Amino acid sequence: MKRKHIAGVAGLVAVATLLAGCGSGDSGAGEGGKTAAGPEQIVFWGWAKGTKEVVDAFNTSHTDIQVKFEEIPSGNAGGYAKFSNAVKAGNAPDLMSVEYPQVPDFVTQGALQDITAETADVKSKYPAGVFQLVELGGKTWSLPLDAAPQVFIYRKDLFEKNKIDVPKTWDDFRAAAEKVKKADSEARIGSFFPDDPNLLATFAWQAGGRWFNSDGGAWKVSIDDEPTKKVAAYWEDLIKEDLVKVQPTLSQEWIASLAKDQVWGYLGANWSAGMIKSNNAPQSGKWTVAPAPNWGTPASGMFGGTTFAVSKGSKHVKAAVEAAKWFTGSPESWKARLGSGTSSAFPAIADLVPVASQSFDTAFYGGQDIYQVFRESYDTIQPGWTWGPSMVQVLTSFKDKLGQVSTGATTVPDILTQVQAETVNEIKGRGLSVAS
Amino acid sequence: MSSSTQRSKGGRWAVLLLTAPFFVLFAAVVIAPLGYALWLSLFSEQSSGLGFGGTESVFTGLGNYLTTLADQAFRDGFAIVALYAALYIPLMLGGALALALLLDSGIAILRRFFQLALFMPHVVPGVIAGLIWLYLYLPGISPIVSALRDGGIEWDFLGDHVLGSVVNVAVWEWIGYNMIIFFAALQAIPREVLEAATMDGAGPIRVALRVKLPLIRGAVITALLFTVIGSLQLFNEPMVMDGVSNGIVSTWTPNMYSYAEAFGKNDIGQAAAASVLLAVLAAVLSYFVTKWGNKK
Repeated sequence: MKRKHIAGVAGLVAVATLLAGCGSGDSGAGEGGKTAAGPEQIVFWGWAKGTKEVVDAFNTSHTDIQVKFEEIPSGNAGGYAKFSNAVKAGNAPDLMSVEYPQVPDFVTQGALQDITAETADVKSKYPAGVFQLVELGGKTWSLPLDAAPQVFIYRKDLFEKNKIDVPKTWDDFRAAAEKVKKADSEARIGSFFPDDPNLLATFAWQAGGRWFNSDGGAWKVSIDDEPTKKVAAYWEDLIKEDLVKVQPTLSQEWIASLAKDQVWGYLGANWSAGMIKSNNAPQSGKWTVAPAPNWGTPASGMFGGTTFAVSKGSKHVKAAVEAAKWFTGSPESWKARLGSGTSSAFPAIADLVPVASQSFDTAFYGGQDIYQVFRESYDTIQPGWTWGPSMVQVLTSFKDKLGQVSTGATTVPDILTQVQAETVNEIKGRGLSVAS
Repeated sequence: MSSSTQRSKGGRWAVLLLTAPFFVLFAAVVIAPLGYALWLSLFSEQSSGLGFGGTESVFTGLGNYLTTLADQAFRDGFAIVALYAALYIPLMLGGALALALLLDSGIAILRRFFQLALFMPHVVPGVIAGLIWLYLYLPGISPIVSALRDGGIEWDFLGDHVLGSVVNVAVWEWIGYNMIIFFAALQAIPREVLEAATMDGAGPIRVALRVKLPLIRGAVITALLFTVIGSLQLFNEPMVMDGVSNGIVSTWTPNMYSYAEAFGKNDIGQAAAASVLLAVLAAVLSYFVTKWGNKK
């Protein structure tokens, strides 16, 4: 008898949980809203480190707008699919984090709101080269938060102990890679991440490649252009000669090899400094940030970087843009973001760099002025790069194939040709114009 | 006469009333989604120019089916699943049968313990199973990989040999479950039949192969049917490993292909077409397995 009773209660609880589960699904554009006198509530989806601190700071300093932050998986780990579907289902958040490469994807899907008018007053604060990444077809679709200049972060102690110079060019980098391997047969200068083609895009961008171009009313795809071929051949050689570790990006495996002194460097961007710091606390004081190796003259691509876009169908466009402007352009927001200690983001609005620089604790880097390094790299970001309309597909095509490089089944240069063909196919298949 | 008609009429109402919930649910959760998938599979999202004007839905008839069938990645998925099934089904079902026969034979010790221990992995959800094994496959973390390496063996669980690694996870998950089904069927065999066989001089192995096996044929066929369909639907384990495995691509199995089309490329129409094709194939395979099982 008693048992039956308990089972009944358990059943009720289960049903209640299910109902609650259903209920929480429609948080989003519909839920927020202006109650008679209360503040306007907007829903915001993001995942970047320090976001919660920023939203808290916004909410305490604003009475008219309140932001409800919902943490979602990072874009390529499912966050973007979630957003696409939410827009289709009509329960998307008002404000969404979108990285630069995916802005054209979402614009062509019709998932974003045109915010040209609402953002006209802040456009001039941004360098043209960055703002151009969120302008498509003459309209503004998103507001840039940070820029992501390339850097090389390395183990100063190990480099010095083995008398290896910091590589300035890619030739130096290869030579240094040989020295690292010689010094410790288990150790490598850095890693190749087959599952992170964004890095390959960054190297191509730095080398002067231009994967996409939308001048003249049609998409021109040139993933296999000469600069990218040069980059592909370079990495093919490093992988074949076993001069870099091939491992999944940001994986347990990678973190373990950093901890075991088996990976001495990381080719990344400014934000990687915060990431390495938060993953490797015991190695404090041993790391240093340097400009990324180049092909002869200092140059940088961009590796990552986030923007804020308003979803199509949002009923709070104005409020969402207000929040985005505060996130991206107010010193308080940057203090909150970097004060969290895990983010080393670099403001896209140059005036805010001193604020950012003061807010990040650089003890892990021996007190080095790492923002000065970011700044120098930032000034050399190559202009003219455009992301394509099907970046999710491009990155997946790359990812599927790059995994086979270490087994010798294919080569990086061969993969360029294949991805080029698949991308042209995909864009044509969507009915878009493609220039040959 | 009249009373009997009345009774049968009342019976019919009762049947309708009692089966209605089933049909309502069946229509809502099977027929309706299937119909909706069929409907979606006939449309394609199209843009024009540079695409900044958004998309519109265009009726394409069987276009999505033709594109899907022509896609090498989709066809490769079936080759992978076929290889997987060829390795997995005999290993898992054969193993489960052998274990069940051993437990039933009476020579097994600690019967209860083994039943529980072998069944336990089945309680673990597929995604978690994938994660658990991933840690045992990942170089740099896995004690197995480093032990093999110390022994001079370089075995790349997530590269060239990834199919075997996936089969291993699936066998681990399902062997206990099927063993329990077979064991239950074996326990239901009348003991006098087995005694008669023993009296006639049949040894334990002969009894197992010639008497017990034919008598639990029904259970084996059912298990085979579920396993074939399950193989075709392979998704959880490779999906979990996709992130870090060099051997798995985003379209590795037909189910993953549908997923990649729907949530990677946002092509709901083609994802629906691929799903429908997979469902049709599953239906055809089930038909043949059942037919083959019922003959004799």
